[in-house]
Amino acid sequence: MKKAILLESVSKKYEVGSSSLEVIKDLTFDVNENEFVCIVGPSGCGKTTLLRIVSGLEPPSSGRVLVFDTPPDPRRQKFGVIFQEDSLLPWRTVLGNVKFGLELQGYKETEHEKIARTYIELVGLQGFENYYPHQISGGMKKRVAIARALAINPDLILMDEPFADLDAQTRSLMQRELLNVWSKLNKTVLFITHNVEEAVFLAQRVFVLTKRPSKVKQIINIDLPYPRARLSPPFISYRERILTAFHEELEGI
Amino acid sequence: MLYALSSVIIFFIFWELIALYSPSPYLPDPYSVLRAFITILTVGDVDGYTLTWHAVVSLERVLLGFAVGTATGIPIGMLLGIKPTLKGAVTPIIEPLRFIPPIAWIPLSIVLLIGLWRYIFLIWIGVFFPVLLDTIAGVKRTSITLIQMARTFGADNKKIITKIVFPSSLPEIMNGLRVGLGVGWMCIVAAEMIGGEPVGLGRLILKYANLLQIDVVIVGMITIGLIGLALNYLILLLEKRMFRWRVEIRA
Ligand SMILES: Nc1ncnc2c1ncn2[C@@H]1O[C@H](COP(=O)(O)OP(=O)(O)OP(=O)(O)O)[C@@H](O)[C@H]1O
Ligand SMILES: [Mg+2]
Repeated sequence: MKKAILLESVSKKYEVGSSSLEVIKDLTFDVNENEFVCIVGPSGCGKTTLLRIVSGLEPPSSGRVLVFDTPPDPRRQKFGVIFQEDSLLPWRTVLGNVKFGLELQGYKETEHEKIARTYIELVGLQGFENYYPHQISGGMKKRVAIARALAINPDLILMDEPFADLDAQTRSLMQRELLNVWSKLNKTVLFITHNVEEAVFLAQRVFVLTKRPSKVKQIINIDLPYPRARLSPPFISYRERILTAFHEELEGI
Repeated sequence: MLYALSSVIIFFIFWELIALYSPSPYLPDPYSVLRAFITILTVGDVDGYTLTWHAVVSLERVLLGFAVGTATGIPIGMLLGIKPTLKGAVTPIIEPLRFIPPIAWIPLSIVLLIGLWRYIFLIWIGVFFPVLLDTIAGVKRTSITLIQMARTFGADNKKIITKIVFPSSLPEIMNGLRVGLGVGWMCIVAAEMIGGEPVGLGRLILKYANLLQIDVVIVGMITIGLIGLALNYLILLLEKRMFRWRVEIRA
């Protein structure tokens, strides 16, 4: 099967002043095309750093990164990246923000409006098209960022704790929507989360990372059909397995 | 409103008192300034130029200098904001230059330039630095997350400048334009100290200062003050329209 993402002994060091911080050490994994992978790991272990490396924002200090068989380059590939922090343009409305990616990807200008509105509807923000970011809630901002990323029809979706600010209901709604988009449009998704239940609900495979310097501690295949029932015994047993691995890492912090 | 009105009235009372008890015979009271104002506005000055004409000519000079100051300050500011090494290289030149007042440039401008260019140059001195510094400050404040976000959508450097850095610095740039226009307008007297032309508000003030007719001098001063106020207000209005996306701060 074709690999969407391939990491081979990737390491990342940051130089801060005279000292150096090793964030990722000898990390190796791959993600298949059309696969949904969740990454869980303790805070500060380097999940966001990993995402920046995969999206081509930063080179690794050593090792090899391939996305669809080439080094990642957002100028030649279509990535839908959803950042952990707020990344909306404050001077553009919701509609203008969702159009942003389309403009950069060279879509025809006549199409921007229609595509943008489709995705605004998908994330349930119809009626808010003309609101500015400071006029909507944190969760709504996240949904705008998701609409903006999906609108360009990306080959690879990279999400950094996208649902962390959402209330339980919206979160579960967005989780189902994401699964919908994923199964309908055949996307590869790399999804970072702190929330183990979320990982079991969404992913085909869950990668548990160790604490810093991080590598893959465990890979767990979730062999459950979608949609998954959160209260079913196998769901809970997967959750417990991952939680155990996760907590072993938290102890040492 | 009421407070504002009373402070204006108190100001005029003080002025009247000072004029009344001042030993100097040249200090006019508000009433003679008003009379001078009407005369210059309707009849004109000793050379026959009306106050409106003086103001229009001065405004034209300042707006030209302002246009050149904007056209240089914004691009150079963007460049220096984006390239810190370049900024480091030119800082030892720019920093001392910006403390030299326009008046000090007059002799050099006479040596180097002719006609309208002298005015433009002297006003430009006042406009350029506020625009430059605010543009640099705006560029520096651009969010790194927004730049990275644009990169993940495949933006090249040019797109990042036009779609992220410039719009995000625009509030600071507009602030620089407002301050720059104010300073440029304040340079008008210095700019009009030279040259043979008898028109311009600065010229009017100098002409009547030489004649020791201080009432007309004050008319010129007040006109400069009021036009400056109006220019400032116009840009504030423009800013309000442009930046509706900003969080409104209510006092
Ligand atoms: N640009 C940088 N320069 C120096 N150190 C950095 C930089 N970016 C991240 N780090 C360090 O790398 C480590 C991992 O950061 P990262 O943001 O990847 O963690 P994370 O796993 O995403 O954490 P969280 O779950 O809290 O979001 C942290 O210790 C952080 O201080
Ligand atoms: Mg993170």
